[in-house]
Amino acid sequence: MTEVQTPPAAAPAAAGPSAKAGTRRTARVKEAATGWLFALPFTILLIAFLLLPMAYAFKISLYRSTLIEGEVFAWFENYQQAFQDPLVREGVVRVLIFGLVQTPVMIGIALIAALLIDATTSRFSRFFRLAAFVPYAVPVVIGTLMWGFLYSDTIGPLSGLGIDFVSSDVVLASLGNITTWQWAGYNMIVLYAALQGLPRETYESARIDGAGEVQIALRIKTPMISSALILATLFTIMGTLQFFTEPLILQPLNPGAITQHYTPNVYAYNQAFSFQQYNYSAAISFLLGAVVFVGSYIFLFVTRKRSALR
Amino acid sequence: MNIGNFSARKVSRRSVVAAIAATATAVTLAACGSGDDKEATSAKPTGTVTVKVWAWYPEFKAVVDQFNATHTDVKIEWTNAGTGQDQYTKLQTALKAGKGAPDVVMLELQEIPTFALTKHLVDLGKYGANDVKGDYAGWAWSQVSSGDQVYAIPVDAGPMAMMYREDIFKKYNLTVPTTWDEYKAQGEKLKAASGGKSFMTDFGANDGGFMTGLFWQAGAKPYTYDLASPSNIGVNVNSAEAKKVLEYWEGLVGSGVADTTAFHTTDFYNGLNTEKYATYLAAGWGPGYIQANAAKSSGKWKVAPLPQWTAGANAQGDWGGSSFAVTDQAQYPEIAAKVAMEIFGAKNTEAWKIGIDKAFLFPTVSPVLESDLFKGKAYDFFGGQKVNEVFVPAYNGIGDLDWSPFNSYNFNQLTTNLNQAIEKKTSWSAALDTAQENIKTYATQQGFKVQ
Amino acid sequence: MSLKKGSLLAHIVMGVMAIYFLLPFWWLVVAATKDNAGLFESASLWFSDFHLTDNLSALFQQDNGVFATWLRNSAFYAVVSGVGSTVIAALAGYAFAKLRFPGRNALFTLLLGLIMVPATALVLPTYLLMSQMDLVDTIWAVILPSLLNPFGVYLLRVYVHDSIPEEMLEAARIDGAGELRVFTSVALPAMKPALVTVLLFGIVASWNNFFLPLVMLSDDQLYPLTVGLRSWYMSAIMGNGGAATFSVIVTGSLMAIVPLIAAFLMLQRYWRGGLTIGSVK
Repeated sequence: MTEVQTPPAAAPAAAGPSAKAGTRRTARVKEAATGWLFALPFTILLIAFLLLPMAYAFKISLYRSTLIEGEVFAWFENYQQAFQDPLVREGVVRVLIFGLVQTPVMIGIALIAALLIDATTSRFSRFFRLAAFVPYAVPVVIGTLMWGFLYSDTIGPLSGLGIDFVSSDVVLASLGNITTWQWAGYNMIVLYAALQGLPRETYESARIDGAGEVQIALRIKTPMISSALILATLFTIMGTLQFFTEPLILQPLNPGAITQHYTPNVYAYNQAFSFQQYNYSAAISFLLGAVVFVGSYIFLFVTRKRSALR
Repeated sequence: MNIGNFSARKVSRRSVVAAIAATATAVTLAACGSGDDKEATSAKPTGTVTVKVWAWYPEFKAVVDQFNATHTDVKIEWTNAGTGQDQYTKLQTALKAGKGAPDVVMLELQEIPTFALTKHLVDLGKYGANDVKGDYAGWAWSQVSSGDQVYAIPVDAGPMAMMYREDIFKKYNLTVPTTWDEYKAQGEKLKAASGGKSFMTDFGANDGGFMTGLFWQAGAKPYTYDLASPSNIGVNVNSAEAKKVLEYWEGLVGSGVADTTAFHTTDFYNGLNTEKYATYLAAGWGPGYIQANAAKSSGKWKVAPLPQWTAGANAQGDWGGSSFAVTDQAQYPEIAAKVAMEIFGAKNTEAWKIGIDKAFLFPTVSPVLESDLFKGKAYDFFGGQKVNEVFVPAYNGIGDLDWSPFNSYNFNQLTTNLNQAIEKKTSWSAALDTAQENIKTYATQQGFKVQ
Repeated sequence: MSLKKGSLLAHIVMGVMAIYFLLPFWWLVVAATKDNAGLFESASLWFSDFHLTDNLSALFQQDNGVFATWLRNSAFYAVVSGVGSTVIAALAGYAFAKLRFPGRNALFTLLLGLIMVPATALVLPTYLLMSQMDLVDTIWAVILPSLLNPFGVYLLRVYVHDSIPEEMLEAARIDGAGELRVFTSVALPAMKPALVTVLLFGIVASWNNFFLPLVMLSDDQLYPLTVGLRSWYMSAIMGNGGAATFSVIVTGSLMAIVPLIAAFLMLQRYWRGGLTIGSVK
């Protein structure tokens, strides 16, 4: 508080001859003080729950601890180990494959759905808009539990298909289905909102020129919402790299297929909480965070002309 | 003491950094300096002492209520902090943080060295635990102690036996096998006769305790470990005995005699209810478990001893079982120790009535075990059979087995490698070799002298 | 002509997708009316014996009726975190958009940078820090980190920047209103649609939160629904020796999503409004 109050007192002295300039400067100092005051709670939280944990994670990642010898400073040994750890690599490769396949599928479904509800105005289309969005309201844990039951050979309705949904060949697709179900509607609404913001005239004229609805959708509407598409893609990829809850919940159904190192995040969690390897876990988390962070920025940089986050 | 000295050096060297590590080390030191200062600080309490207990036994609330109703000086405050690994995860983090752990905690037998190694368990030998030693079978007591040091009080156990479907056996004219060779032969007969509709059993490779129970029966000793010399460990996970067991089961699974659905899943329960599984290799807690989860098949099951590797032998194994330990965060360790000994103690018949009739625990404490209350109990689910007449001798026939002080990793290696071998149809023995290699590497990395 | 055919095709595609999105809900509603045996034996997509009331009473009685506590906890965490994070984000978003103060740009750039930091990577170090402050296994361990909502700040900054003209604020200032007054009586009312959206997202995020409370809480009396239901599911599927009551878990899942779906249907226009701010900009 004191800090905030000092500047206004000091300001007039420095203001000099013009009284008018003085009041303006007083106002400006007052504005600055208010600005800081307003931003303060957020800044404190930002430091306490983002910067500090990050710094702390980095710090403990530089130590090694063993059951017998306790903790020792080890520079970047944990990182070196992580780079050489085949289980980390396996998880990273898996989430990359998952991201590369699941993201286009889900964004594709979301885009088709968005284009459909944008082009139709029937009562059913309004109902559909809601139906597709509702899974987003379901907590991921519960959505996954639900799909776990649906995949079950004995109590799920899909048993007739004769597919073992949690066998190692299929389980990644089964997990992909859960995330698609959960998030496609959300992305549909994001894209739909973008479509609604487009000026109608552009495609009215195309329609008069004889363009079909499909053509309009693909050639005119889609390119015009590319910034929203890019943003949705980015957030999806970020989500898939951090893939955690779904594999954790489904793991008991087939631990041979969903291993304890299934994704980097699951691995980090198990290292910390099952095996007490907090330091190694912190190194993996930190690496993962860095990859997501840098990856997001490269993605945004490459696509910066169309992107929304300027 | 080794550990204590080492930690002390560490603390002085990096006092500037790693505040949390320092806290953890400090706790270790305090535990190392042990009883003396503890007893000095913990003056006799006045009034009712509240003892916090973590446990996940079924029907445990009734046991707690009964305890609280009969005690005025002590009150149990019970929390269900999760089943198995969930609870251990929380316990580990709370112990590391030096705050938030309960006074008394339920630990499965295989987890005791893990928690004892970090010096977070109070030596109950100081509080008279050795006086009740005589109430327990030798192998069970050796699971919780090292010499006169007692880390926990045994509660229940899981001696293994074979449950079988009498109706299916009659239908296909099978005889009850007494050896694993006969078991295999009957399984093949069943497979042919049922047209592959029924499996002899389910081999749930997601349960490290189940597999270790089978190794145990075959005489395998995966680890040689004594908390008296905590930094030495022998690792022999891929012993000839263990491989024999796995090669046998690999054969049964490969020829379609045994199924590999993960235990405790909906599909597994359904298999018990229908005619999918003709036998279920169960533990002493199994009668209650199967009754609760396969009610529809009531009256069709019978229990017989576990088949033997050598005809006429009496080799047994244990799958599961638990104990009560006292953590170093207990404010009054002496009272906590008393609670740990009393809850399911030999004299607490009221608690055991609940434990036996409602929670279906298999008692480790001999007076209860041999009592008519337990041994003479007829089960409607098993067509009136007194199944404990099978389980109790099995319990008494179990030999010693050491667990590693990193059991999460041990079970993880067993289940991960086995499940992957099943999924990818690769050799199960090779999977065990991989587990052995990984565990040895891990143990060495953790600073153990591996033999 | 072609338009009509297209529209028929469009409706068929939407119909198929709607089945995909809604089928699990149908299954859940049907399954919640069955007892454990019914779950295993009857056709999964149609009703058999009706046991919903039994299931509900079993649900609210299991483990001493802890489910009601979880329900209350979830609501409490959601409302406190939602309202708290919205207030904080409103102040910060307004400051970033309309108030000039030294360090503003640096701070905002930092915020943009940190939006991308994966939250899950922070849970473990946050836990260790919290445990040093003796906050682990308290409601604060769940609420305090949830108050931070960088994306909400970003959304509100964009909204304020675009929809509140400078002249409006200047006019109030000339009338002699202090900065706080300008904010509460001029800016806040104008921010209302965006605020509701940020609030809704905050509430949903907190209601759905799993990893943070999973790590932070040991006491089952403090669990939110997500962590509580998973613990029941785990004890069913780990085989703790007791009955695996899947019917209770299924009914609990239904009960856990009903409040949110109701909120969704009632407040849907705010969702769309909010997403527009986030994406098109």
